[in-house]
Amino acid sequence: MISLDKITKSFGTSNAVSDVSFSVLEGSFLVLLGPSGCGKSTMLRMLAGLDQPTSGKMRFGDTLVADGEAGLSLPPADRNAGLVFQSYALWPHMTVAGNIEWPLKVAKLPKEERRARVLDAMEMLGIEKLANRYPGEISGGQQQRVALARMIAPRPKVMLFDEPLSNLDATLRVEMRFELLKVHAATGATAVYVTHDQVEAMTMATHVAVMNNGRIEQFDAPDRLLAEPASAFVAGFVGTPAANLIPIENGMWFGTMPDPLLRGSSGHAMVRAEQITLANENGPRTFEAVLAEVVPMAGRFLVTGIANGIRITAVSDQVARPSGKLRFRLPSAPAAIFDKQGTRMS
Amino acid sequence: MTTLLGPIGSALNKRGLTLTMALVLVALVAAPLATILVQTVYPSSSAWGDVLASRLSQNLFWRPTINTMIIGLGVAAGCVLLGGFLAWLVVMTDVPGRPVIAFMATLPFMIPSFATALAWGTVFRNGRVGGGGGLLEGLGFSVPDWLSWGMTPTIIVLIAHYYALAFTVIAAALATVNGDLVEAAQMTGASRKRILFGIVLPVVTPAIIAGGSLAFAGAVSNFAAPALLGLPVRMQTLSTRLFGMIEIGQTERGYVLAILLIGISAIFLGLGNRMLSGRRSFATIGGKGAKPRRFALDGARLPLTVVAWVICILTTILPILLLVAASLAPSSLSLFSDWTLHYWIGDADPAFARGQPGIFHNPQLLSALTTTLVLGASVALAANIIGMLIAVALTRQKVPVLSNLVSQLSFLPMLLPGIAFAAAYIALYGAPIGPLPALYGTKLLLALALTAAMLPFAVQTGRATVSQISGDIDEAARMTGAGFFRRLGAITLPLAARGLAAGLLITFVNVIGDLAITILLYTPTSPLLAVLSYSYASDGFHQFANAVTLVILIISMLATGAATLLRGRRRQSFT
Repeated sequence: MISLDKITKSFGTSNAVSDVSFSVLEGSFLVLLGPSGCGKSTMLRMLAGLDQPTSGKMRFGDTLVADGEAGLSLPPADRNAGLVFQSYALWPHMTVAGNIEWPLKVAKLPKEERRARVLDAMEMLGIEKLANRYPGEISGGQQQRVALARMIAPRPKVMLFDEPLSNLDATLRVEMRFELLKVHAATGATAVYVTHDQVEAMTMATHVAVMNNGRIEQFDAPDRLLAEPASAFVAGFVGTPAANLIPIENGMWFGTMPDPLLRGSSGHAMVRAEQITLANENGPRTFEAVLAEVVPMAGRFLVTGIANGIRITAVSDQVARPSGKLRFRLPSAPAAIFDKQGTRMS
Repeated sequence: MTTLLGPIGSALNKRGLTLTMALVLVALVAAPLATILVQTVYPSSSAWGDVLASRLSQNLFWRPTINTMIIGLGVAAGCVLLGGFLAWLVVMTDVPGRPVIAFMATLPFMIPSFATALAWGTVFRNGRVGGGGGLLEGLGFSVPDWLSWGMTPTIIVLIAHYYALAFTVIAAALATVNGDLVEAAQMTGASRKRILFGIVLPVVTPAIIAGGSLAFAGAVSNFAAPALLGLPVRMQTLSTRLFGMIEIGQTERGYVLAILLIGISAIFLGLGNRMLSGRRSFATIGGKGAKPRRFALDGARLPLTVVAWVICILTTILPILLLVAASLAPSSLSLFSDWTLHYWIGDADPAFARGQPGIFHNPQLLSALTTTLVLGASVALAANIIGMLIAVALTRQKVPVLSNLVSQLSFLPMLLPGIAFAAAYIALYGAPIGPLPALYGTKLLLALALTAAMLPFAVQTGRATVSQISGDIDEAARMTGAGFFRRLGAITLPLAARGLAAGLLITFVNVIGDLAITILLYTPTSPLLAVLSYSYASDGFHQFANAVTLVILIISMLATGAATLLRGRRRQSFT
């Protein structure tokens, strides 16, 4: 189990991470999701022991690993945690096998044990044939596998990942997501995974912490993020496609179309793409938009138009390609309403 | 530019540029080297035997070679230690003032080695060879010969000059290890010592070897330091011996020494290369990563900071200040009293300095100043134009064999000791070739040799420029239908202007600070500043020598400063 209690990290006067608390059970797959600069990497570095929290407490199981007030921070090696870097950080002067073995040497494991573990790790990731190659001689995807093997060989209880897939091309990324989940399932360790890619979060996580400006906007299971976003930020960040956030003013869509369902509120109304339909003629809750793009997806189409300067996306079965102007119809009720600060109201 | 390229332009489309450049390089680089080889064996010369196996060879070759090797190895070791230490401090630790230390540590290479050697003399010279003692003797210390002259001061002065090379190379390598690679090791719980010996050192070893072999090659080829500090006590190195042989007219023996010197320098550069290519390329891979992470020095912070600053000041500011003082003080024994501007602007006075007028009243100086500036400018221009054309030829026209030849030949002068290269020029162009007159003793010969010697650097600048702007940007212009020259004028040159101007200035600085080539090829009627300074110094007129050296330094510093400004933020930074 990992539990954090009011963790804050400041650099000078600004807080990179503010007052973060959560806990996840052993064996969970936690994803820290957020745009760049949201504090998720700083969080991960504190979990790894490479940075120290300014205040707050951090526990792995029953062990207190960091306490900001007391100035306590266990060094990385005493946390039984492994980290995969975005750059992989393979040591260029060691072979693949050498890279995997070095941490075991540092841990003073006997030779037979080391050999067995190196073999195990290489087999699990299918890189046995690369054992004697140098990092400079293998492809990016293979380097990623070596970095993973190096991380799991010491059998850490906590596995940390810093945007590990962001340097790979799209196809490899999908393949490596599967590898990562396989490794996670096989080891039973707790994983903490940092990414800005919500697809990775949705596909891999048991828990997601959506971060923004150093704070956690929502800590929930992936499907809950979609079903019940806690804030406008979360609503606009997750989902494929992300839900539409339509500005409302005093109970009027776009400040111009009155609707009693909006109950006079101002801020944003969340309307999922699948709730919006294409209309052939003017009617209640319809508005005009200029066509921006049509993306075929799983036999249907994502139709995006621009109205009042806002991109609105709808899902449509219509095969005939709309052209120029189109008309969207809003549903009878928005999925959620957020106030001007982005806080969910209903 | 267009007119300069005109005659070549017509041939451009048919691999003509590469061919033209190959011919230019054969004339500038390959032919002199071939000639020097041929002249020592044909027609039936005894030069090789004289040098290697005769009564004379002990003095001609073996002793200078041993001295040269000791200097080379000593300087290489010293440079790696000093440069490596500073690189470690600047890149890996929290030592205060890192950017300033990093900047200062690259400066010594901009100060000609004869300036440092002269500055050494102002402090440590003793009266043994005449011309009065230095500052220390003036203070009442007796300076032993080994500290005044010969091996020790030569090695120290050369370390002070070349450690900047090792620093640059090692700091660049350290910068790549820092960050993720070290953190990945920290995650395993390895101790600091283990990380240093298990990760950091192995990754930077290639850079250490490269830095060491560059310093070695520089030290064995250096002429100024052993000439100023060693010759007065008859310590000969291969370069001073080679100079002596040519000066007294035993050119063939000189040529043999030149070949041997090239050989020694090449063997060690080759060894360094060999050790490098035996290993895997350690270029670190991908990722933003590399957030520099610094070791806290804690208690050692203050002493190490002091050491770093002392090294930087001793090798940059102090020599210059000493030269200033020594150019003003009538007595070399007391550098800081009775200052006079006589050595700069005084009229000839029989009662003062054996009747020598101040350097600005010496007609030779004024002509040397103009000659130096004109030569520096023309060589910089010529070398960079050729360098640019070679870079274009190498990137745009891949011709089998020929491209490789061009690339190798343009890099070759880098490996050639300047003085040996100059000797090769005498061998080829010293005598008439067919209808062409002998060039020996003309400024043209000097200009040609310097241009060839500056080519590796100019090609480097050219390649950086071309690679920066070829590719997409040039193709985008081609799509509009603009021709080669149109693109050159409208796209390439404007984009490359700053880099090229900086390259020109740096070449200019290298030319005016050169002594190894100019000492053999200068024209007696109008010498260059560096040569003038050297001859003042070897005649014992130290104040004048110092003053002339300062003139060179001031011009160099202005040009270097301008180049730095032009390059702006693109200057390499390790901190």
